[in-house]
Amino acid sequence: MADDLKMNSLSEITWQINSSLVHDFPSIFSSNFDVGVSDVVPSVLTFLDDFDSHLWKAGYLFYKTSDQEFKLIDPTGKLREIKASNGARFWWDFSGEKKVLQKLIGLRAVIPVISVKLTEQEYLLRNEDQKIVVKACLTKAIVEKTTVHYLTLSALRGYKKYYNRAEKSLDSVVEEEINHFGLKTILMNHAAKNFETDTNFEIPIDADMPAEDSVRIASLGLLNSAKLHVSGAVKDIDTEFLHQYRVNFRKLRSLISLLKKSLPQATVAMLKEKLSMIVGKTNRLRDLDVFLLDEENYRALLPENFSSGLTELYSLIKAQRKEEQKKVVHYFSSKSYASEISACAEELSLSSTYEMKAATQPILQVAKKLLINRYHKMLAMSATTNSQSADDDVHALRIEFKKFRYLIEFFIDLLPQKDTAKLVGEVKKIQTVLGNFNDYATQISFLQNYINDDRIEMSKSLSGLIAVLHQKQVEEKCKVTNVLANFFTEKMTDKIDVIFGSTRQGDSV
Amino acid sequence: MKVIACYSMKGGVGKTAAAVNIAYLAAKSGFKTLLIDLDPQGASSFYFRVKPSSKKWSERFFGAYEDVVKNIKASDFENLDIIPAHLNFRNFDSFLAGVKKRKSRLKSILKGFGKEYDLIVLDCPPSISNLSEAIFVASNLILVPVIPTTLSERTFEQLSEFFDENDYKKSKIIPFFSMVQSQKNLHKMTMETMSGKYAFLNSVIPYSADVENMGEHKAPIDVFAKLKPANFAYIKLWTELAGIIKNDKSS
Repeated sequence: MADDLKMNSLSEITWQINSSLVHDFPSIFSSNFDVGVSDVVPSVLTFLDDFDSHLWKAGYLFYKTSDQEFKLIDPTGKLREIKASNGARFWWDFSGEKKVLQKLIGLRAVIPVISVKLTEQEYLLRNEDQKIVVKACLTKAIVEKTTVHYLTLSALRGYKKYYNRAEKSLDSVVEEEINHFGLKTILMNHAAKNFETDTNFEIPIDADMPAEDSVRIASLGLLNSAKLHVSGAVKDIDTEFLHQYRVNFRKLRSLISLLKKSLPQATVAMLKEKLSMIVGKTNRLRDLDVFLLDEENYRALLPENFSSGLTELYSLIKAQRKEEQKKVVHYFSSKSYASEISACAEELSLSSTYEMKAATQPILQVAKKLLINRYHKMLAMSATTNSQSADDDVHALRIEFKKFRYLIEFFIDLLPQKDTAKLVGEVKKIQTVLGNFNDYATQISFLQNYINDDRIEMSKSLSGLIAVLHQKQVEEKCKVTNVLANFFTEKMTDKIDVIFGSTRQGDSV
Repeated sequence: MKVIACYSMKGGVGKTAAAVNIAYLAAKSGFKTLLIDLDPQGASSFYFRVKPSSKKWSERFFGAYEDVVKNIKASDFENLDIIPAHLNFRNFDSFLAGVKKRKSRLKSILKGFGKEYDLIVLDCPPSISNLSEAIFVASNLILVPVIPTTLSERTFEQLSEFFDENDYKKSKIIPFFSMVQSQKNLHKMTMETMSGKYAFLNSVIPYSADVENMGEHKAPIDVFAKLKPANFAYIKLWTELAGIIKNDKSS
């Protein structure tokens, strides 16, 4: 005998209804049933997501109801428990299953994406015994300027024949049948574009394109990508806007620097100067953000009796951040910013002049040659780098690794997929160690500026922090020799020659 | 999944009213509930306006799962399904008399519902029979309404002795006073005597016209007499029972 009895699932169909026929409801059922009509339940749902639509892309729906309650629906349709007071934006502002948010949105804030006005009215269809035998629900959804109507018919266990009868009476009014109807259906059909984000940088170039053309196209792409983050940075929605703006700038500057022999010298000089100047205006704000975001970690580094000094430091930095944010907003809103950024875009938009020798060479060939050269440069540098090396030498090697990875990523679509992906993974591992080392150095130098003889408690905490960070920096430096030795093997050198040695595109090496 | 039987050897003691209201309140509080009306009179099915199918299927009740499932009907309320009684159910006893493992038959059938329901409420016919014994084996709790009169006291003692004689777990028996008229001296005295001897629930269901009116409204009392004492008494009874279910470790 079976231990578990699986009951058949009940029929439920949703159709889109031609809005002009909505007035036929619920009388359309009246010839077969006594129809009870519930009150109309109106609600406004405001769907939230971060700038990159991470929740939507992962299959989650996150919204706030008219009653100011937050609801999180996972990809299986299950409602996850999540609560927050009005105005919550970051994962840490929520309680309940906030880890899902932490994983998906990270440091991003959730912002309203779209509001959907919903009204639902239930029809209870009764048989001659006044028993409810079928349920129907008419849903009206208003998404921006579009109004759509759906009718859902639900069978009740044991009353299939009544359900069939009800379904038949709908023949003349229903349109398209909707599979798995729910909020997601409404959004997919009428608001999917609101969740589309196109901030990922892709270079629309092919392997044989002249290097100068490719660099101009790729650079413009990065510049435009950076610009997408300005509005969020100005509104101070979250710190990631400024961060992503700067990441795009860093990549752009790397690209121009790496492929400087493909662009006219004057163009390179002009872009280097302007880009450095523009992004430089945001350096201080980013430093302050980084320190503020790490507050919990910093507090964990010091004993409890240093906490009042840290609190003093944090309130000072928060005040400075406020001022710095104002300066950045002022700069981004200024005519001078507009004119500098237009000048860069115009310069990159000019037709290629092919002044330089590399300018006409196929981009893939140029890129591969560069990758091999840079690898060998890194190899040479690594030979003299160890735990005793000067900080500046480690820093220089870190920059080389960063450029090497950017260079791979710029042309990743043209390179052998599998091997390149594996290589990027290896490079990232080293970058983590070198990056940590650099972060400690940067943090120490950032904190040193705050030591102030008039603020004894704060300076004591600062000294404590600097000592701990210095120790961590030394520990990280000890790891450098090992990770370099693991990366720079004969096998790796051979592999680099194989991956980047061929003049052909893709995996056909 | 837990199984509660509303059982009494005696008729007219408030068994069906308890089964209907408890099943309804359990469903309302979120338990996926199946009410099985085992009494061929079909009173609890009637209260939910659910009619049995015209086919005679009682002989298949203890064998073919598909037939049992096919006969489940939704109530008008969320989380509550019903297997309505069929007049044919009167033959359960003679059917069980002729089969092997008759005492565990019902338990085997109900086990199959474990994935679908949190709670099964059995509305039992008033008798001591093969079916009753199958019910005693299948249930985690046997809820026994007792009208505080001499005759009811005697019937309850008979049940208690029957459990002793047949080695059934007496701890399953959960008695409660039903149809109580507190102005009657006999009721007061019987309640006092019986409470001293047996572990009665604290909840007491009063004699009430509202309970009788369930037939007219064809609905649980909460639907039409929400603020009446009888409804509060059933809510209290269910709350007390829910606490026992929560702590019940029997399978």
